[in-house]
Amino acid sequence: MKKKRPVGMIMTILTIIFFYLPIVFMVVFSFNSSKSLTSFTGFSMRWYAQMFASHDMMDSLYVTIVIAVLATLISTIIGTLTAIGLNYSRKLVKAYVIQINDLPMMNPDIVTAIGLMLLFITFHIERGFMTLLLAHIAFCIPYVMLSVTPKIRQLDPNLADAAMDLGATPFQTLTKVIVPEIMPGVVSGALIAFTMSFDDFIISYFATGKGVKNLSIMVYTMAKRVNPSINAISTLLVLLITVILLLVNIIPVIRQKIARKREADPDYVPKATNHSARNITIGSIIAAMALLLVFFRPDGGSQAFAGQTLHLYLPGEYISDEMLAGFEEQTGAQVIVDNFDSNEQMYIKVANGEAFDVLIPSDYMIQRLIQEDLLTKLDPTKVDEALVQLDDKVLNLAYDPGNQYSVPYFWGTVGIVYDKEKVPLEDLEREGWAIFQDPKYKGDIFMYDSERDQFMTALKNLGYSMNTDNEQELQAAYDWLAQVGTTMEPEIVTDEIIDHMANARKALGLIYSGDATYVIQENDQMGYFLPNEGTNLWTDAMCIPKSAPNPELAYAFINYAAGYEAQMLNSSYVGYTATNKEAEEELANTEFAGIDSYIPRTGYANDEVFEYNAKARKIIADLWSRIKVVISNAN
Amino acid sequence: MKTWRRLAIPYLIWGTGMLLLPMLLIVFYSLIQPGNEVTTFRFTLDNYIRFFTDPDFLLILWRSLTIAIETTAICLLLGYPIAYWISRCSKKTQNLMVLAITLPMWINMLVRTYAWIGILSKGGPLSIVLSWFGIKDAEILYTQAAVLIGMVYNYLPYMILQIHSSLTKMDPSLEEAASDLGASPFQTFWRVTFPLSIPGVISGITLVFLPAISAFFIPKLLGGGGWFLIGNVIENQFITVGEWNFGSAISVIMAMIMMLLMSLVRKADRKASQKEKNA
Repeated sequence: MKKKRPVGMIMTILTIIFFYLPIVFMVVFSFNSSKSLTSFTGFSMRWYAQMFASHDMMDSLYVTIVIAVLATLISTIIGTLTAIGLNYSRKLVKAYVIQINDLPMMNPDIVTAIGLMLLFITFHIERGFMTLLLAHIAFCIPYVMLSVTPKIRQLDPNLADAAMDLGATPFQTLTKVIVPEIMPGVVSGALIAFTMSFDDFIISYFATGKGVKNLSIMVYTMAKRVNPSINAISTLLVLLITVILLLVNIIPVIRQKIARKREADPDYVPKATNHSARNITIGSIIAAMALLLVFFRPDGGSQAFAGQTLHLYLPGEYISDEMLAGFEEQTGAQVIVDNFDSNEQMYIKVANGEAFDVLIPSDYMIQRLIQEDLLTKLDPTKVDEALVQLDDKVLNLAYDPGNQYSVPYFWGTVGIVYDKEKVPLEDLEREGWAIFQDPKYKGDIFMYDSERDQFMTALKNLGYSMNTDNEQELQAAYDWLAQVGTTMEPEIVTDEIIDHMANARKALGLIYSGDATYVIQENDQMGYFLPNEGTNLWTDAMCIPKSAPNPELAYAFINYAAGYEAQMLNSSYVGYTATNKEAEEELANTEFAGIDSYIPRTGYANDEVFEYNAKARKIIADLWSRIKVVISNAN
Repeated sequence: MKTWRRLAIPYLIWGTGMLLLPMLLIVFYSLIQPGNEVTTFRFTLDNYIRFFTDPDFLLILWRSLTIAIETTAICLLLGYPIAYWISRCSKKTQNLMVLAITLPMWINMLVRTYAWIGILSKGGPLSIVLSWFGIKDAEILYTQAAVLIGMVYNYLPYMILQIHSSLTKMDPSLEEAASDLGASPFQTFWRVTFPLSIPGVISGITLVFLPAISAFFIPKLLGGGGWFLIGNVIENQFITVGEWNFGSAISVIMAMIMMLLMSLVRKADRKASQKEKNA
């Protein structure tokens, strides 16, 4: 007698709705005509168009699929063979393999991930596509073995002997007798491996390099900005997976039906089982994907750098897709972009041997890279043409006298973005950087996750130089920032600040002038303020690391990116100030007319340019990572 | 069959290099001084001392543990009744339900978590629903509640599926026998069904707790920048600060705590099943 259990039913239904809610939401909003993630303003396909035009997205989709297919194939083969071999091995060997297979399954992903990262770095294996694949194979094999091993145990131990006694070679025994018997386990192992690989984020994030991104990494880096094309690509993914699952589940059923019909036929030898049908399906899906991939990759034409690849490493949201497409069209080369959140993050990768062709770090970091002999001295004959087009104010600065190593890309200041309706200008003028400690704005401020810039605000407010390496002064700055952290309930952000402030989510925040320009253009209720205590006048410049695989293409990129057209596209797209004089002046008078953050404050006595200092760097890095911990604990 | 044995040899080498060696490297890095090369190093416990003497790091470890325990508890409280209900349905409904729960798991976790940003933010569907109940302009995004929702959302399916599979493996005649012998439905559940489902509960807890304690993209996407958990601290040490020795030490500490907790859970499981046998 079955009882009705309404509570259980309601719970189950609600939970299933809960599971599908975000997916439905995502699909619906991928067709939204506006950028908003909360209100649906009308039907449009613009995010799909943007997705297909986006370099990063298409590349990441490609990487995800290729890695998943390869990792599945390889790990299924190795895992199955090993599981068979182990069945006949000594107990000790078996126990050892079970132990090491438990490592990735019983440890948090992040531990496996950093273990692999340390492995690649220690043995100087350059991180990129290969390491990503190796890592995926590594964590997939244990799952394959987990699902194959029980099937092997069920095998009749005499089966292999019988086959060999009847004259089968070991290879024949393996492929014709053993493998068909354990096929269900192999198939479910392969499916698990495919899902694991397709879905992985944490291990990929640490094991990859040189801008090779899978979908998860792409979403993780892009999620800082409101970007409905993420919804579009997710919808595409949902569609793809639904089709695959339907094929895998439905085709065997149909085949079985056909087979049953045929059984009526006396000549029919029943052999097509459910499982082999399933294998055929999976095989054909993999083949179809492989075909798809061939179509995906357009080969280069006849241009100068056709078929070559440029690895570019720059801050997030710093380049226009249109400009990149222009460069690719002109040179025939393909650009692979990797983004960093901070100069410090960039340094770690470059110093550990990841080979990029062009880097775009900031002034003080360029100084450090020069000091540590990581940059190529530029050939003046190859960059002169680029340099003469630039604004004199960004040339020949202290971090790189004579621009021997770098060609400026964007420049600007660091200031306060504020909501004019919430923050009166008098407050800003009276308090300067100390406005971040004003209890009036408690819970209403953004801090920026850039250690040097945040320390700059504190040091300037305390009346010190932002380039100090005096421990007491730095400690005082730490206390200043910790006070903000513990009493003001700040939110620490990076690029997220752009959309947050454009939507007036908080009253004020620390921001780069270029991002402020974008914010003010979107929402004129916002203003940009430079405190009288002074600020950081910065330049980000293109340079070629010593390890660059393709310096000639790097020179071509630098020249292209310093040119008028490229700078117009980039600067108007992101809002940062162009270094190309003509583009800068034109934009200041047209698109960004009246937005004062676009023209950096120069010649102001209290402003400084960051310098690199090893001792100060170490202290600031440690103190800043502590501040973030302190703030999280205070929340 | 000695010929077959050779099939396992490549994996012995591969597994040692790709699975065991990385773990040894983490331990190694955690025990040497920053800046040391692999060739010239000096052992030290400084990295561990630094972690354990800093109240801020200890607090963050505590917070990560708390939120992982909360996530696991919520998943268990929701997951058990659901799994139980599903296991009492007809075979056909069961398959359908399991499929319905498995399907979303095929879609990238990051993508599904990203979708929550829109749902939870101001003016999003959740705040509209809350406004019907008189809670105006609620912003759940970037709060602890958002992080919890994200965690439960991502890990609840594992709990349901594990418990469900242990409930369906059970011999139904045991329950019938219990009620034939006069046990009330509650007694049948509490004395027969529940103890037999403990292995599923245990593996469910493992599958939820393990990723929850080391989560770092859920707090980052849904908790905002001011929401560090121990996973974020580790990420930060490796990606931004570049102090791998300290980062490795934190990872070792986390792995140790995990192992300790898991062995406790397993011990409890063994005790429970022994009691069962003795009874």
